[in-house]
Amino acid sequence: MRLLSFRIQNFRSIVDTGWNQLSSDNITGIIGQNESGKTSILEALKSFYDGKISEDILRSDLSMPVVTCCFATGADQISDILRDKLLPAGVMQHIKKEKKIILQRAWNDDLSSIMLFNGTEVEKLFTDFEVSRALKEHKIAEKLDKLLEKKEKARKEYQKADDEMHQAEMMMEEAKALISERTRTFRSVKKTDQKKMAEKQLAIAKKKYEQAREQFLQKQKLSKEKNKIFAEVNDEARFAEQSKQAALEMEEAGEKLRESTERLRKLQQLYDHAYSDKERHGISLEMDSANEKYLKTVQIYQQARERAIIKKYLAYKILGGLSPGAAEKEIEREKPQFNPYYSREEAGNILAGHIPVFTMFEDFSSLLPNRIDLVDILDGNQKTEGFAAAMNFLHVSGLNAEFFRESNSRILKQKIERLNRELTIDFQDFWRQRIGKTSKITLNFELEHYDHTHPEKSGFPYLEFWVKDRNERLYPKQRSRGVRWFLSFYLELKAAMVANQNKGRVLLIDEPGLSLHARAQEDVLKVFEHIREKIQVIYTTHSPHLIDIRKLYRLLAVQRAVDDDENSETVVFDAKSLTSATTDTLSPIYTLMGSRLSEQQFIQKKNNIILEDLSAYYYLSTFHQLLGYPEEAYFLPATDVSNVQTLVNLLMGWGLDYIVVLKGDSSGKRIFGKLKNSIFGNDDTLASGKLILLKGYRGMEDLFSTLDFKKHVLHERIGIPERNSEFVKENHLSGTLLASSFMKHAQGLKITDFDEETRENIERLFQAITDRLKVQK
Amino acid sequence: MTGTDKYLEELKWQRDEITRQQHEIIQSIRYASLIQSSLLPPESLIQKLLPAGFILFKPRDIVSGDFYWMAEKDEKIYLAVADCTGHGVPGALMSILGISFLNEILARGESYRANRILNLLREMVMKSLHQTGDVSQSMDGMDIALCIYDAANKTMQYAGANNPLFMVRKDVLTEFKPDRMPIGISGHEEHSFKNHFFDVRKGDWFYLFSDGYVDQFGGQNGKKFKYDPFKSVLLEIAGKKAPDQKEKLDHTLEKWMGKYSQVDDILVMGARFD
Repeated sequence: MRLLSFRIQNFRSIVDTGWNQLSSDNITGIIGQNESGKTSILEALKSFYDGKISEDILRSDLSMPVVTCCFATGADQISDILRDKLLPAGVMQHIKKEKKIILQRAWNDDLSSIMLFNGTEVEKLFTDFEVSRALKEHKIAEKLDKLLEKKEKARKEYQKADDEMHQAEMMMEEAKALISERTRTFRSVKKTDQKKMAEKQLAIAKKKYEQAREQFLQKQKLSKEKNKIFAEVNDEARFAEQSKQAALEMEEAGEKLRESTERLRKLQQLYDHAYSDKERHGISLEMDSANEKYLKTVQIYQQARERAIIKKYLAYKILGGLSPGAAEKEIEREKPQFNPYYSREEAGNILAGHIPVFTMFEDFSSLLPNRIDLVDILDGNQKTEGFAAAMNFLHVSGLNAEFFRESNSRILKQKIERLNRELTIDFQDFWRQRIGKTSKITLNFELEHYDHTHPEKSGFPYLEFWVKDRNERLYPKQRSRGVRWFLSFYLELKAAMVANQNKGRVLLIDEPGLSLHARAQEDVLKVFEHIREKIQVIYTTHSPHLIDIRKLYRLLAVQRAVDDDENSETVVFDAKSLTSATTDTLSPIYTLMGSRLSEQQFIQKKNNIILEDLSAYYYLSTFHQLLGYPEEAYFLPATDVSNVQTLVNLLMGWGLDYIVVLKGDSSGKRIFGKLKNSIFGNDDTLASGKLILLKGYRGMEDLFSTLDFKKHVLHERIGIPERNSEFVKENHLSGTLLASSFMKHAQGLKITDFDEETRENIERLFQAITDRLKVQK
Repeated sequence: MTGTDKYLEELKWQRDEITRQQHEIIQSIRYASLIQSSLLPPESLIQKLLPAGFILFKPRDIVSGDFYWMAEKDEKIYLAVADCTGHGVPGALMSILGISFLNEILARGESYRANRILNLLREMVMKSLHQTGDVSQSMDGMDIALCIYDAANKTMQYAGANNPLFMVRKDVLTEFKPDRMPIGISGHEEHSFKNHFFDVRKGDWFYLFSDGYVDQFGGQNGKKFKYDPFKSVLLEIAGKKAPDQKEKLDHTLEKWMGKYSQVDDILVMGARFD
């Protein structure tokens, strides 16, 4: 993946940079005055990568920082990276079409951050998917809940009917007992009147019984009915209950997973902030155990999740009218759809693991020191001067704490000598190939121990570095700043290569030219050129020597929104809009160019038309006079098509507007492609606003019909079946001479003296020029 | 053997030799005619592009200085009838050049207008014959009528170098006049050919032809047939089917010629696009 562009919001003086394209050739320079916010851009990019920010970068309004980066990639790479879960429909197609992804890191109030898979279309696809999934889930849950409610209601009703039946039964039994009792009374009494009374009482009891029995039978019937309903609903709800149960189990498993993740995160934080190897070792043991637990919880959660989903859909389908068997079969078929989907955050985090490694190279910690205490290295004391450089050195040498524990000093000495030899050979190669220096510099380090002159450290080991040139043995700080810088930079590059062999790299370099003399600064640029195939470089500078005048498209200009107000926000201008930056901001470019030319007559602030060569100049300025439009046009001939880009750079640097007219031959097309790519980020619409490629016209002579070419340029009556430009080339004629003689010849002509074919061609071209110049106004 | 005998023998030998050489030349021209006809559009192409048209082609000799050409590209039909300087072998050689150049122009892949095809054809002829306007150089070339029928838009372009285009629409004949300059160098400086552009309606007939028909001597006074009678014939036949038109044109010509021999190659192409 290659970093294409970035956007920074709410970071120190930056409110919102908007999107800024990086140079397509992997070297981007950020120019601007001191305190303009150049370094903030590098810091923000570094924070994007590692997620770390400190309180002091927060803005006074406490709006939290957001950094968004766009990376070039392919759909194949992304589907390979995001292979464990699914992405919402359309996301992969979008990546395939755009060939890029956008990642956004946003910080929370507690300075923690989240990384999101971002971009308007991606966000919409994710949101649409999540909303539709949530709606479906809600619908299913609602249906299942209703069923469970129904079941509860049926159960209650059945319970009530059952109670009432039993009550009626009891009353019936009581009535029955009363009959027995009264029958006994009836039988026991002899007297007529008593007998009659008893008979009457028995009859009442019998009637009561009949009523109670009737009541019971009714209640019994109702109970049976309610029981039947309940049994039916209960059967239906069985699947919903299983689903509910599975959901609960999933929730529990999820909770355990969250705990486990949190534990791992905390341990990772402790590990990252640990100061010593010993501490790290202890934490790493804990991390191993936590990780093992975490993996188990993940597995349990995944199983619970799958079960919950299956149970839920099974219940839903059965409720929809399918038999359990048929529903199971359908579920089996639809199972792949139940696979988990990435959230934007999950996808963002995973993708972030595959973006290039962003590293910051800065003077204080990155320049090789004369010496550094071994304890500071082993304890990871980052505040020690030269710490980063020394660590780089250890990485490059393949050294670790174990190496220095070697008790046999002879063996240790031999090992150090061997390493010194290897490093020297490698560095000399770098020194020669990348920087073009031939001096035989050798790099040495030694393990020494403090003596009595340092009583507080006496006996403690330290690493001492030396740089030898012929017979001179000097500390790094005694060497020129240039040598020290390059040596440290070499270590940075080598260390990064050792650490991240399979990843791309973005090297953020703050003021690499600071305090280097002019030649050494130019050497820095040379090194950038050599490494740019493998490493993207973004550097800040206000040195003209760190700007390639032929490649101003590489620049971003940074300044404060209000001149001289350090409290105003930082604004960024890309190569296309350098003209909007202030003179102070662009001063390195002006210094490089010698002077500003915007006030003289040859080139103007606007309406400048860059042409490939003199012949184009003669033809077009002549036709401009003949046509009389556009009102103002200043034709600037480059001496050759290959210089067009330089001229474009110059005009951009001077803050002047321009358009370019290129012939449709292969070199014209090549320069068109280069300009489109380097200045307009390969955007056809933007490029066509400034660039005119004369498709089908391989030379300016092809703007003429053959007849007009013969009549007004060649002044000969011969057959020319080939293109006019081909005729000029094949007959070794001087295009410039022909064009200049045409200029003289045309003095007495009118545009109507040319035939319809020539007029059409010329008018079409000048209309295109006019349209583009109008936009400048 | 006496001297007379020897002389007679010599004469006989010379006669035989001339007969043999003539035979060889005729054989060679016949072979050339095969090559020439193979360069003309094949019958299948004529049937495809001009299913409702006809071509009346009557070379004066074995090979012809007249030629017709047709092609199809991007839904456009290209038709041309040309008349090269001279007839017989010199004309045939020029016709081969003409056909080749037209094919080459079309193969360039650019979308030319009719007049620009003629402009370019002229450049090719001038270059191949090294014509620079010097009086000592050849003035060979060709006259041509070239049409492009755009089937999608039902429009026609025409450009002519000395050869006109006749259109008969609803019993009215319209003549599209050619530019009075040949394909090749002439006494005057070259100008761009004019492009005629017009709509085509159903039932329109277009006639492209060389001057052979109208210049044919015949009739009672041995005069040229001329344009007006030719136009009358076309108006008379325009409503008829293509084979009948061809037959009528041929018959009229034969009748006009009577005992007179054919003076030039004769070529008439009738085209209708419905």
